[in-house]
Amino acid sequence: MSPEFSDKVKKQVQDILAHYPEKKAALLPVLHVAQQEFGFIGEDTERMVAALLDIKPVQVREVVTFYTMYNRKPVGKYHIQVCSNLSCSLLGGAGLLDFLLKKLNIGLGETTKDKKFTISTVECLGACEQAPCMMVNFDYYGDLDEEKIDKILDNLK
Amino acid sequence: MVKIFIDEKPFEVEEGITVFTAAEQAGIEIPHLCYHPAFAPEGTCRMCLVEIEGVPKLELSCATVVRDGMKVSTNNERVVEARKGVLEFLLADHPMDCPICDQAGDCKLQDYYEKYGMFESRYSENKEKREKKRKIGQTLIHDQERCVLCRRCVRFTREITKTHELGVFERGVHAEISILEDGPVNNKYSGNLAEICPVGAITDLDFRFQTRSWFLKSGDSICPLCSRGCSITIDSHKGFSHFKVPKRVYRIQSRRNENINGFWICDIGRYGYGYINENRLEQILLKNEQNEAMDWEKALKILSEKMKKVHPMDRSSGAVLILNPWLTNEELFLIKKFLIENQEFENVYLIDIPDGEGDDFLITTERSPNKRGLQELGLKAKSLSSDKLPEKIKLVLAFTPPNIDSAGSASVKAVFDKAETKILFASNKNDLSDVSDMVFPTAVIAEKSGSLINIDGVLQNFSPALEALGDSRPEWQILVEMAKEIDINHKYYDQFSSPETILQEIRKEISDFGKKSD
Repeated sequence: MSPEFSDKVKKQVQDILAHYPEKKAALLPVLHVAQQEFGFIGEDTERMVAALLDIKPVQVREVVTFYTMYNRKPVGKYHIQVCSNLSCSLLGGAGLLDFLLKKLNIGLGETTKDKKFTISTVECLGACEQAPCMMVNFDYYGDLDEEKIDKILDNLK
Repeated sequence: MVKIFIDEKPFEVEEGITVFTAAEQAGIEIPHLCYHPAFAPEGTCRMCLVEIEGVPKLELSCATVVRDGMKVSTNNERVVEARKGVLEFLLADHPMDCPICDQAGDCKLQDYYEKYGMFESRYSENKEKREKKRKIGQTLIHDQERCVLCRRCVRFTREITKTHELGVFERGVHAEISILEDGPVNNKYSGNLAEICPVGAITDLDFRFQTRSWFLKSGDSICPLCSRGCSITIDSHKGFSHFKVPKRVYRIQSRRNENINGFWICDIGRYGYGYINENRLEQILLKNEQNEAMDWEKALKILSEKMKKVHPMDRSSGAVLILNPWLTNEELFLIKKFLIENQEFENVYLIDIPDGEGDDFLITTERSPNKRGLQELGLKAKSLSSDKLPEKIKLVLAFTPPNIDSAGSASVKAVFDKAETKILFASNKNDLSDVSDMVFPTAVIAEKSGSLINIDGVLQNFSPALEALGDSRPEWQILVEMAKEIDINHKYYDQFSSPETILQEIRKEISDFGKKSD
């Protein structure tokens, strides 16, 4: 079954397309909309987006695999991205990542059985002033320690 | 025109061309991997950096347009240093498996390493391990480790075939050329990918691990498999003094020709060389004489006896001549002069070569290399498959093409069945070679010289890319010798020492013959 956008999203895509002189220029924002809609960008979605923008599926694949913010596999309800860059690492980011993985009993890039949490690392989140930090879906959490992480996870239902 | 200085020498060059092209025209080679004249410059490999006076950084010669008064250095210390640096990066993860790489000997990376290599590596880290044999198409294997990401192959599938099978996925150190799960390279020009790959990343299954390129001798020729007449090079192997090699021709590659095929050839022409290697007739065969060695002189005498037996009065009704559109202009001319006009063969038939699927690029639906030549020479031949045959046939001379199909040979067989004396001129064994009274082995296009006229009326000359096999000879030579033996005007044929001399004679009679000549 190839995926299809809901009418509301179709409208959204039309609005995006109106911003650009060429259809293919809208590839990045349309992929974001698609990811919001389906949770990830699979082969079928690639094909659908390619048809929508008059480009080839292989060109969509190039873009999807180039940018790390597009998920090529389904992720949990909460996608936790832990910064692995310099400032966070100096302040114990790696230890916190291990703590998280152990706590949720999954490996890096994996999703918990209840499909609630996915953990991955991310390059600099641009929030070094509150290192070590992480992002849960689109929310930032900084100045982390194990206690704080416990609390954050408890609040995520 | 603008005036520029390359390595301190002044040159007048066309406006708007790149520094790279200007240097090329001046005979200066700038190292490059990603640049290919068929595509827009991409600038991914960084090998073509040059110094331009007044510009602080080194510039990409492939993407920099010439300006009046520009002073370019292509080979000073700074440029060479940069090249070494670029090469060091390109080779950082290169597997250096040249001893088992098919590209070795043809490889630009290898050539540049010889010239600009650091030799002692400064890397102590392990090299990245990647997939070494991903099948990306029917005849193509991609080696991720050898790939330098020049994107020539990607651009080929986007700009030339417009089939878009290949892409660069992932990024940075993980970047790789790949296909979609369900989209292998599937077009009629896919073999060009192995040819344009500047390194050994894309290799051709047809050539993979078959031989080493330095054992091969390249010869120029023309592809006879359709009416386009693409320029090709044929790479053949002579074998070694103590053992034979399994093939003669190992590969066919395209040869640049802006008038005909640009840089490319189709897969039909690239892989369709089997007839040059296999099933060849190497000796003159005479029926009823078992394994007797027969030389040309003796055989031609026997042939002339057989031909003289047919009384001139019977020629118009009883002698049949069967031609094919693989014959060169020169051979067709000799056939016209000697067999049709002098020997009065009136029943001239042409073997029909069935059409194939064409496209709007190179492949023509007509699959005959020289049908235009036949027309321009004014040779009128009936169709062997649809026109009526004479009632009684005393003598038939048949020239068959290497790729005659079962329908074609059946149509010739129908003539042979009615005929008393059957003479065959063929390069390859076919259904007719066993039922002929005499079989003369002929050379294939790759082994002879002459000219053909392609579908657009362009006359192209070609020379042998390899020697004729065994006792086989080109038809023009056989015809000249036959004519000297039989024709009362035999002195006329003394002038024909080569196909060029025959073409001159054609042009004396038909002044605008092959008017769009190369």
